[in-house]
Amino acid sequence: MQQVSLLAKMVDIEKNFGAVQALKKVNLEIRPGEILGLLGDNGAGKSTLVKILAGVFPPDRGEIFFEGKQVSFSSPKVARILGIETVHQALSLVDVMSISRNFFLGREPTKKIGPIHLLDRKKMNGECQRVVTGLGVRVMSPNEFVSILSGGERQAICIGRAMHFKVKLLILDEPLAALSVRETREVLRQVEKVRESGVSVIFITHNVYHVYPVAERFVMLDRGIKIGEVYKKEASPEDIIEIIATGKMS
Amino acid sequence: MKEPVKSIGIENRKQTLSFSQIRRCPEFGVILAFLVLLAIFSIFSSKFLTLRNITGILTIVSELGVMTIGVAFLMIAGEFDLSVSSLYAFSGFLFVTLANKYNSPLAFVITLAIAAFIGFCNGTITLRARIPSFIATLGMQLLLRGSLLAVTGGESVSYKSDAIMPTLLTRFIGFGFRPSHIWFIALTLIFSIILTNTRYGNWVFATGGNREVARAMGVNTNKVKVTNFMLSALMASLSGCIVISRFNLANASFGTGMELEAIASAVIGGTFLTGGYGTIIGVFFGALLMGMMRTGLVMIGAPAYWYQTFVGAILIIAATINLKLRHLEM
Repeated sequence: MQQVSLLAKMVDIEKNFGAVQALKKVNLEIRPGEILGLLGDNGAGKSTLVKILAGVFPPDRGEIFFEGKQVSFSSPKVARILGIETVHQALSLVDVMSISRNFFLGREPTKKIGPIHLLDRKKMNGECQRVVTGLGVRVMSPNEFVSILSGGERQAICIGRAMHFKVKLLILDEPLAALSVRETREVLRQVEKVRESGVSVIFITHNVYHVYPVAERFVMLDRGIKIGEVYKKEASPEDIIEIIATGKMS
Repeated sequence: MKEPVKSIGIENRKQTLSFSQIRRCPEFGVILAFLVLLAIFSIFSSKFLTLRNITGILTIVSELGVMTIGVAFLMIAGEFDLSVSSLYAFSGFLFVTLANKYNSPLAFVITLAIAAFIGFCNGTITLRARIPSFIATLGMQLLLRGSLLAVTGGESVSYKSDAIMPTLLTRFIGFGFRPSHIWFIALTLIFSIILTNTRYGNWVFATGGNREVARAMGVNTNKVKVTNFMLSALMASLSGCIVISRFNLANASFGTGMELEAIASAVIGGTFLTGGYGTIIGVFFGALLMGMMRTGLVMIGAPAYWYQTFVGAILIIAATINLKLRHLEM
């Protein structure tokens, strides 16, 4: 019963990088339509854990279930086809490519001319312009390079892209790092909107105040070990900081 | 308080946008340089703008250009291929040897297949051993050239077979034009369309621009790189077959140093050394510029030795401009 109602489940995940044990028997559950705050200090293993879930690299040991079925991802492409997408500050857009080329990267629409499939650039530019404008990002043309966008605009476009392609699980890896106050508020508003549309979100941050207003549940990691899991109603932000700082649930 | 901040932001964006527009048309610089040099050579040498001279330049340019297209296509995906010059000589030799034994179409096909395999090895070594392609393909360059010299002992082999492939590749077709000119132009157009108008082209840009992002977005970056290594090898091989068909002679020392000329043409044509950016039309003009300088300098009376000096100067200028534009962009 429990199994079916979960969107994704990671069981006893272990991962080593050389002599460093990055994850030790970590379990993680994601329910449909929830925002899960994944917290921990630098080097806690947060990013490693979600990279495994997104197919960037495989775990050394452990199992992953998605929509009730056991899965193993050989590449991010496989995870992406199932509907898992990561938005990462440094890993989601290619600077020297145009906005529309980035928007459709890996999912480019084509049109057939004879036996040849060519990019449908008209559709790419049109759809991209529509979505981006809808997000409140003011660009002169979808042919502009991504490198001229601000951090907040990049996050907005990445999240908008994930929504456009109807992902089921959106992983936000430190989405507010290096954002201005106003941009932070914009991105949080967007995350709320994502939840309203029924998509599950994993929100990774080391700043509990960023995620506390939007998330329902929090998981804390420390040096590769899951040290705690609390619901919002059970703990205040200060309690959560205490758990992270001391490394244990009191 | 709110308004001025916003307007400053937009002001800045407009400024960067104008650079962005230049950036999106990277052929601009090389075409301008091409026209300037064309004008200079035409003014100082009355024989420069003659059909005979132009077709002569085109013949040299086509052979370098076909190789450069492959090299640039790979550079855009973020890797180097220094083995192209050796592959060029190796392919020519293999083609002549096989053609003398069997027939030229068969020799051509086998030569290309073996070249593609060598390209596959270049790619696989680079990715599996995780060494920079600069080193991997430098090794392959020395390895191929060395074997070729050792096996042939430096002796040339002349072509004594049918006229099928030479006719298709390089025999005169009238007014001084050769099929190789058509090959070069056709391949420029084909690769240009692949790069800018297909899904694969988008993956090539992304792989060179930021490999990790490309991979995270579901692009099989290893496959893209290996494919491009193979294409680079194929183009170098084709170029070698063309040259040998023109000279009717293969020698192990053919094409020495040509890999750097190809890379220089690509950079002059606006391709980023760091990958992720470039156009095939730019490369076309880059190769054209190189070929034109070689002939033009001689025709205006400069000693032939000055050719490399000019190439060097233009290369440095082109690379500097590329980098400056990129910084303005960021």
